[in-house]
Amino acid sequence: MQIERHTGFNGLRKALSMNPDELIELIRNSGLTGRGGAHFPTWKKLSLARSSQGEKIVVCDAEESEPGTFKDRFILEKNPLIVVEGIAIASHIIEARQAIIYLRGEYSFLEEGIRKAIEEYNKLFGDINIHLIISGGGYICGEETAILNSLEGKRPNPRNKPPFPVEKGYMDKPTLVNNVETLAMLPLIILGDYDPDLRLFSISGNVEKPGVYEARLGITLGELIARAKPIGNPRAVLLGASGGVLRYDPNLVLTMDNIERLGGMLGMNTLIIINDEQDLLQVFKHIAEFFVHESCGLCTPCREGNPRIVDIMEKIIDGTATSRDISLLERLAKYIADTSMCGLGKASTKWLLTALKYFPEVFSNAKSNN
Amino acid sequence: MPKAIIDGREIEFEEGETILEAALRNGINIPHLCFNKRLGVKGRCRQCIVEADGRIVASCTTRLREGMHIITDNEKIREYRKINLDLLKSRINTSQILEDEEILEYLEEEGLFEEKLLSLPIDNSSPAIVRNPNICILCGRCVAMCNEQTVGAINYAYRSINTVIIPAFMDEINNTVCSTCGQCTLVCPTGAIREKEDIDRVMEALNDKDKHVIIQTAPSIRASLGELFGLPPGTLVTGKMVTALRLLGFDMVFDTDLGADLTTFEEAHELWHRINNNGVLPMTTSCCPAWIKFMEHFYPDLAPHVSTCKSPHEMFGAIAKSYYARLRGIDPSRIVVVSAMPCTAKKFEAQRQELINDGYRNVDYVLTTREIARMIKKKGIDFNSLEESEFDKPLGISSGAGAIYGATGGVTESVLRTLVWIAGEELGKIEYREVRGMEGVREAEIRIKDKNIKICIVHGLGNARKIMEKVRNKQAEYHFIEVMACPGGCIGGGGQPKSNDINILRKRAMALYTQDKKLKIRKAHENPIVRRIYDEFLEKPLSEKAHKYLHTSYIDRAPKI
Repeated sequence: MQIERHTGFNGLRKALSMNPDELIELIRNSGLTGRGGAHFPTWKKLSLARSSQGEKIVVCDAEESEPGTFKDRFILEKNPLIVVEGIAIASHIIEARQAIIYLRGEYSFLEEGIRKAIEEYNKLFGDINIHLIISGGGYICGEETAILNSLEGKRPNPRNKPPFPVEKGYMDKPTLVNNVETLAMLPLIILGDYDPDLRLFSISGNVEKPGVYEARLGITLGELIARAKPIGNPRAVLLGASGGVLRYDPNLVLTMDNIERLGGMLGMNTLIIINDEQDLLQVFKHIAEFFVHESCGLCTPCREGNPRIVDIMEKIIDGTATSRDISLLERLAKYIADTSMCGLGKASTKWLLTALKYFPEVFSNAKSNN
Repeated sequence: MPKAIIDGREIEFEEGETILEAALRNGINIPHLCFNKRLGVKGRCRQCIVEADGRIVASCTTRLREGMHIITDNEKIREYRKINLDLLKSRINTSQILEDEEILEYLEEEGLFEEKLLSLPIDNSSPAIVRNPNICILCGRCVAMCNEQTVGAINYAYRSINTVIIPAFMDEINNTVCSTCGQCTLVCPTGAIREKEDIDRVMEALNDKDKHVIIQTAPSIRASLGELFGLPPGTLVTGKMVTALRLLGFDMVFDTDLGADLTTFEEAHELWHRINNNGVLPMTTSCCPAWIKFMEHFYPDLAPHVSTCKSPHEMFGAIAKSYYARLRGIDPSRIVVVSAMPCTAKKFEAQRQELINDGYRNVDYVLTTREIARMIKKKGIDFNSLEESEFDKPLGISSGAGAIYGATGGVTESVLRTLVWIAGEELGKIEYREVRGMEGVREAEIRIKDKNIKICIVHGLGNARKIMEKVRNKQAEYHFIEVMACPGGCIGGGGQPKSNDINILRKRAMALYTQDKKLKIRKAHENPIVRRIYDEFLEKPLSEKAHKYLHTSYIDRAPKI
């Protein structure tokens, strides 16, 4: 796989010989966007952070906690050097001297490999201090401003934006927060080895061979899933907990635009395959419970709204839900999606909005059980 | 100036201004629950959503941009705001909201959701404030306020639907470093943090025919009480207040301004004594009980710097149950002293073990400005149409120096008026404008005889901390430091009508300075009652008797390791 390539810090060496503005232009032309899910243009973030004044910080977001997503783990396991190299390149571009890798608590088994990679960097270069911090844990810790609070020893609540981290981030210093995969792409871009359509898909669920698969965008769902050997008849595909749920269609062409048109989000290339032997209603309830468990509790819609969704899901399962409940479900889903404070809250009902659209029978069958 | 369009109206805005700020400034009301500009609280309740160029955003966190089109009300916005409120309403136990709180105007309609009312323990542990998490909407203003005071006694705990605002380790508030300043109660939109009400206990005393119940009123409440009856901020309601308190059944209505004159007299002598006898300097004031508790938690090592004078209402209480009791031939056990105060911390102070003389508490109960108004309303008294009347004698005579105690800088100015007299300048200056104002930290240097007296005035505990750090590091070259825990001093006290608008505080302060100007006696030492109390009872300032009745001591509340 491309991501396993040993670049031997050659990307960094080349970057150090180049002007940061040239590098930003190079990254701009590559079309790279944030692989943490939000797909903000990477060059723009770099450029904003670069033009901010004062001491700057680079944060590598390795708090990968989206259900069914393990591509960052894969990268950090297989090639921590390329991540460290990417961090050093980003630091060079924005002129940061301090960088922090914020690693998911459950990934602490990766610590040794990452530390070795940092040591390797220190032996050869070492002009940037790269710190490794293990996350306190929690889904919200993957939110870019909640990371900053967590790093400062505060509750991992998201911050209001503006100010954006590139203006006022860690300890109020301009801070570049980028996902592991995004940073790992930088050496490849600089070395001219970057394939803009190549992605790492995390495939799990009812498949014989769950794992990370490399494929180019544009591949059909059927072709990709065949590699993981589906079990039984796939019925639905969950794009993580936050990306929505689609009806399984082997001919579905996997591009970001395509998925977005359907109301989903291919933010992190997560595919959880659900076959027709599963009780979708239970699956949906589990997702709803996940968001109740993981809400940070700061804003009203996410904190108060998601538990109400679980209540209604339980009523549907019990057969006591009314059509009023189903309509309330949809009203809540839209309300939470449109009014929550952070991206995680906003995405916490995408599954419901798509489920209501593509699996109305799951909800209406429950009703007729009355 | 850049322009944007809000509800079809072209509006000029300043760079960086949010939609909500610009809208409110232009008289366009956008409903909001958590927003508090001074504290920087925003973005949490999500009630203030609007449509900005077709996108739903929170108006409190979104900055206006040139040419932006804002819609503050349409079907979608109304739908989201309704769901938002109904979710909150289905959780908070509105029956436990005890007063006309900010939140109530939002909670009228019937809700969409089944009630799942919070049922958490109410924290009654503090003598000053009560925490009722069952009506908390988690806006976080109290947390921001407590942090601004650099106390940090409360914060968010747990997450998701279990989120609560509570002291660390789920402890009771009375076991924390809470200064009891009560600033949190001023900003809470629901009354989830509120003063501990003492009305029932006072009513019980009033109904006890055997008791001689005295009420004394703090300098600042006459400048704020009127607001709770719809009068404009800064209206002095002294006369009506006295009448109302009589109608409530108090046997005597006295003035804490007299207590303030006693404090000035003692404290000025204490300061002069320290200056001339190599005493511990700088000397800080001691009339603010929240400051005292804060000092005992965070700076107990600096207690020798703090004046040992009791606060004015405690001095008053001590005199009421000794000198006044003897004068009137009333057994002190029959006297109940009630203090009408702008303050929640005085409730805490009143039950301190150090404030007992001859076996009697100096002060029995403390009522805040808000509680006084509540009692007057409950009794059905039409406050605004009351005749004015005067304080009872003899403990109702006071000077302008006592009146200005309610504003930051007031204690200093009063002390200076007496200090020059002690120093032998018979025709000392009256007004010291250099110590007035609303700056958080102010410095002044006053020449008295051959001495330059260096003064620092701070209000807000965050500012107190800054100065005390300097004192601890021996970098504070002052003689005298005035500390008030609440922004603005007592006029901004935690027991005052709910507002932390600086302009309202200014108006309240102005009223006190106007009162001072109108009075014939403007210096504490010229108050004939003060002179009489010393002549007939206390002998002289700093005497043994004065120490017994007018001075106190402090304890170390720092964590012991």
